[in-house]
Amino acid sequence: MLLTLAWKNTWRNKKRSFIIILSIALGLWGSLLAGAVWMGWGESMVNTAIERDLSNIQIHKKGYTRNKEITNFIPRGFRILKETQHIPGVKAVSGRTLVEAMAASPTSTFGVKIVGIIPAQAKKVTNIHSLLRQGTYFRGRGRNPVIIGKKLADRLGLKLHSKIILSFQGMDGSLNYAACRIVGIYKTNSALFDQSNVFMKQPDLFRLLNSKPAIHEIAVRTESSRIMPKVFDALKTKYPGLAVQTWKELAPEVALISAAMESYTYIFLGLILFALLFGITNTMLMAVMKRVREIGVLIAIGMKRGKVFSMILLETVLLSITGGVAGIVTGGLSIAYFSHTGIDLSAFASGMETFGASTMVHPFLPLDMYIALLVMVVATAILSAVLPAWNAIHIQPSEAIRTY
Amino acid sequence: MPLIELDNVSKTYNTTAVPIQAVKNVSLKIEKQEFTAIVGPSGSGKTTLLNLIGGLDKPTNGSVLVEGTDISTLKPDALIDFRLHHIGFVFQAYNLVPVFSARENVEFIMLLQKIPKAEREKRAIELLEAVGLGDRIDSRPSQLSGGEQQRVAVARALASRPNFVLADEPTANLSHAAESLLDMMNRLNRNYEMTFVFSTHDPRVIKRSRRVVTLEDGAVVSDVTTAA
Repeated sequence: MLLTLAWKNTWRNKKRSFIIILSIALGLWGSLLAGAVWMGWGESMVNTAIERDLSNIQIHKKGYTRNKEITNFIPRGFRILKETQHIPGVKAVSGRTLVEAMAASPTSTFGVKIVGIIPAQAKKVTNIHSLLRQGTYFRGRGRNPVIIGKKLADRLGLKLHSKIILSFQGMDGSLNYAACRIVGIYKTNSALFDQSNVFMKQPDLFRLLNSKPAIHEIAVRTESSRIMPKVFDALKTKYPGLAVQTWKELAPEVALISAAMESYTYIFLGLILFALLFGITNTMLMAVMKRVREIGVLIAIGMKRGKVFSMILLETVLLSITGGVAGIVTGGLSIAYFSHTGIDLSAFASGMETFGASTMVHPFLPLDMYIALLVMVVATAILSAVLPAWNAIHIQPSEAIRTY
Repeated sequence: MPLIELDNVSKTYNTTAVPIQAVKNVSLKIEKQEFTAIVGPSGSGKTTLLNLIGGLDKPTNGSVLVEGTDISTLKPDALIDFRLHHIGFVFQAYNLVPVFSARENVEFIMLLQKIPKAEREKRAIELLEAVGLGDRIDSRPSQLSGGEQQRVAVARALASRPNFVLADEPTANLSHAAESLLDMMNRLNRNYEMTFVFSTHDPRVIKRSRRVVTLEDGAVVSDVTTAA
């Protein structure tokens, strides 16, 4: 009945209650959506990086990331590549031969990394094939076909089917030159990646290196991000002599930004709720002030101060939860809608590409964040109720009945 | 042992520059089942005296004993609990909970006493029927006339099965309904053996009271038992 009384009291002044519910709902809706956009942006950065080149897990020879010498290839790399494919939870693997090189055109030169791949394997691990702006993904015949990024093509003044000269050190230390034909030009969301990665088929690269087949990197895609830790553990146990790293270790800046987005969302929500706290407190103070006589009568007839405190607390919590649920539901629906359609932030494309994020952001908020938010709303309501409830329990019944 | 015993009770308010002595050295005994009116002009201390009897105010001097318990020494929560179980209140402005129906208003005090739901509902309906509002149990205060609201207030006061009911100017806001309310209170006094103590300056109420205590400037100037 106390709950009924609190609920009915909440609706005594409909206009007042609607205003505060609306302000809570709007505040939460806005902050949820903003948070979801940030989270979506962070998620997009992670996904973009994983799909573009990072993959979920990478295997290298120990020390390779510090010293990217061509001779630092994975011992028995192809066997390990084959074995990795059969580890439960692994979706696809791709072996990469990595060679630091200098790319030259008739007008300019630029330092690049040649990524030797088996196109059929790489297609299952990265999405470069789907980001081609011109040309094909190693279809057709031709000598030394390569795929380069649009940024590199622009820097070197090259076009599709242009010739590009790559110079690099061979396994034996000799300097090699290769004239390659551009068969495809890709464009990812990262200009940095586009200007420094040249893709070549492994057989061509091995021929140019005049070496036996060798790979420096095994990129592993897992069936889901949830299963990644299991696969990681399995690989780490199976290959203790190799460097097995997740994308978080390989690109800590991406992991940091992704984590920061979650923190920013909580901070933003906290600030909104902190601002709302004063509005709710004010509303409840007004509600108590208007009911001094009634509360005095309730205390007079035998309602203990603890129950009066609970009643005001319940009213505040009910009011806040109504607004909170309205905000969370509308926020959730908006997020679901924009998550489906995406939000086009191409107006800020250049800025976003610097961070390697997609210009189409799909807002996203994990379920635990909704639950945490509901807890935050209740905590805000309880805090907001303290002062009004404190005032209510200090009402002197005789004075309240006589004066008000 | 008298139901209520005031021994040399005084009450001084120090809220203004000049202290106001609202009640001066009042000694009074009220027995069970009495129907007592505290009368006097405005400002004579009637409401203060009722507040002291009801434990809503503490005396500056003297003691207020209800069934032998000195309520002026009780701690705040114990005093609230004492009021809940021993005293029924009827106020001049009815003071019902506006968002509750008549039945809920009567039930609420029993809820505070932790009486089971079925018992609460049964007793609330019985009481509302006893005050002649059996057909208005689901009406909210705003849907009831002043007289009807005061009847609900009386039913609420009786719901906790108190030892006595204190009514502060119960007919002050009533015109035509005053006499029927008094008849009802008289009936309840007899049928339920309920003690009523009320303040009034309404001659119709004074006429029907069996004991009339008159106050002037906070002091008892007469205490008359009539044949009413």
